[in-house]
Amino acid sequence: MPIIEVNNINKDFMVAKRETGFLGSVRSLFKREFIKKEAVKDISFSIEKGEMVGYIGPNGAGKSTTIKMLTGILVPSSGTIKVNGIVPYEQRQKNASNIGVVFGQRTQLWWDLPTIESFELLKEIYQVSDARYKQNMEIYQEILGLDEFLNTPVRQLSLGQRMRADIAASLLHDPPILFLDEPTIGLDVVAKEKMRTFIQEINRERKVTVILTTHDMEDIEKLCNRMVLIDHGQKVYDGDISAVKERFGKIRTLVVDVENGEATFDIVGAEVVKREANRVWLQFNRDEISASELIGRITQTHSIKDLTVEEPAIESIISRIYQEGFEEKLVSV
Amino acid sequence: MFRMKLYWTFTKKAFLRSAVYRFDVLSRMGSNLIFLLMWGSIWTALYAGKESADGVTFQAMLTYIVVSQFLSGINGAGTPLWDMQEKVRTGDIALELMRPFDVPLRYLFADFGSVAFYFMFALLPVYILVFLFIDLTLPMSWETWVLFLITAFIGFLIRYCIEMSFSFLSFFLVETGGIVDIFYFAMSLLSGSVIPLWFFPDWLEKLAIYMPFQGIYYIPTSIFIGKITGVEIAFSIATQIFWLLVCYGILRFVWHKASQKVVVQGG
Ligand SMILES: Nc1ncnc2c1ncn2[C@@H]1O[C@H](COP(=O)(O)OP(=O)(O)OP(=O)(O)O)[C@@H](O)[C@H]1O
Ligand SMILES: [Mg+2]
Repeated sequence: MPIIEVNNINKDFMVAKRETGFLGSVRSLFKREFIKKEAVKDISFSIEKGEMVGYIGPNGAGKSTTIKMLTGILVPSSGTIKVNGIVPYEQRQKNASNIGVVFGQRTQLWWDLPTIESFELLKEIYQVSDARYKQNMEIYQEILGLDEFLNTPVRQLSLGQRMRADIAASLLHDPPILFLDEPTIGLDVVAKEKMRTFIQEINRERKVTVILTTHDMEDIEKLCNRMVLIDHGQKVYDGDISAVKERFGKIRTLVVDVENGEATFDIVGAEVVKREANRVWLQFNRDEISASELIGRITQTHSIKDLTVEEPAIESIISRIYQEGFEEKLVSV
Repeated sequence: MFRMKLYWTFTKKAFLRSAVYRFDVLSRMGSNLIFLLMWGSIWTALYAGKESADGVTFQAMLTYIVVSQFLSGINGAGTPLWDMQEKVRTGDIALELMRPFDVPLRYLFADFGSVAFYFMFALLPVYILVFLFIDLTLPMSWETWVLFLITAFIGFLIRYCIEMSFSFLSFFLVETGGIVDIFYFAMSLLSGSVIPLWFFPDWLEKLAIYMPFQGIYYIPTSIFIGKITGVEIAFSIATQIFWLLVCYGILRFVWHKASQKVVVQGG
């Protein structure tokens, strides 16, 4: 049985329409017009225990809105949600004990208490036993290196430290489910790596089910097998990451250094996508022309000084989908 | 199920938090004393050497001001209105919906902690000195002391309910300046914190008597100086309890509506 079940959920926000001009603002004092903003449209998915799912989409796609519905702090306008057998917004407090949540954009720790005090409060809030608390703290301190700032008030922590504290805090009560809304936002490369290792470990060792939103495709690539891609509130893809790669992976890029950067290439199945000094990026479809064939064609007219073939990174695939839409790509590739 | 231990933890943490903000405590104590000095001088000038006015001796009047200023120290030591509004604005409160505790209660217990700290390390020592050095009236019987403590505590709860309700109103309003003004006006005038109700013009006294605010300062302070006695005390406490229940009901209602709004409209 899936641990998270989401069926045809919608979330509409009523946004007050802003009237312009003096008369407009006077009018809006008496009668306000509202526009319906559909943040999430008819989304369904189900997630099995122990899965780690990347929930991605461009800005404003509806990711945070979905996460908030899963935590129970937003009620869907329609549709049903079950998280560990519970309807989140009906039993918000009971749901709370099943989930850990990190909103990367804001801390949930108590701003002006030393970090350790926040942990102690959470221990009490979630009724974590002394033994369990001690054990968890030891593990988190080791992997996340909390020691160095446990006695520092949260407001004085650096972003990376705060994020580490936040994720440790979200897991103090051993929730079977973890929601991470941009857990690596603003972190440096090393901190990101640490965060990923930690998430991976938690998922592997404790079978914690993880839903993760991010704008860093490396997070997805390193952590998730499955991704749910949404755009404008709608689900556009749900499945294996490798399948996406497979589907779109036929597009490769050949980077060549030639003598004349302005040189033209007239080769069927390949097109110039970028130029920089004497370096040219040629995108080609593996089904239409092989790399060696392409190189052969180029050497007929130009002398190549250096070359590399780039595999498509998931990042560039996603950005193409964002820009061009998913369906289109399916057809054209 | 009421989880006392959990709420008690909030009290302890808030107590510790106050210890971190010692300067805050000091400056609050400073301004409390300045107000005391100001109102003490005003009333000294108003009495202008007269023994008594409206059956209240000068000494009793001075005591009234000292005690109500002390209570205002207590009532001002919790999470202030603007701070709560800030929490509403930033969405911190909305996130607390996700926690397994009751938000209004959680802040009440946290306030107990801040108040306890302020009381122990600022108000109590300072006001003991005030009572030692100024000739003031102290209640003669222990019953009066007990009744004072009870009514002061009920008054604290009434104020808490009203202030929290006002804070949560900011979930519904874009601009909250007006709301805040109304609150502070009622809090300082209608509560009798600086002018006892018996000096009000008739119509205003009638108005104030029928409002909840007098339960915060006027009732406990008047009991302290012996202006309210006998059966009147019972009546005053009944009034206080009535208003506490009403204000608590209002707080619950506003909070219910506010959390409803958060979960439907996203804050
Ligand atoms: N409380 C709200 N009231 C009105 N509109 C809202 C509210 N919350 C979100 N929206 C709108 O709903 C849409 C989805 O927002 P959401 O925060 O879920 O996006 P997101 O996918 O998390 O984006 P990002 O990557 O920028 O975090 C946006 O257009 C946003 O403006
Ligand atoms: Mg978001």
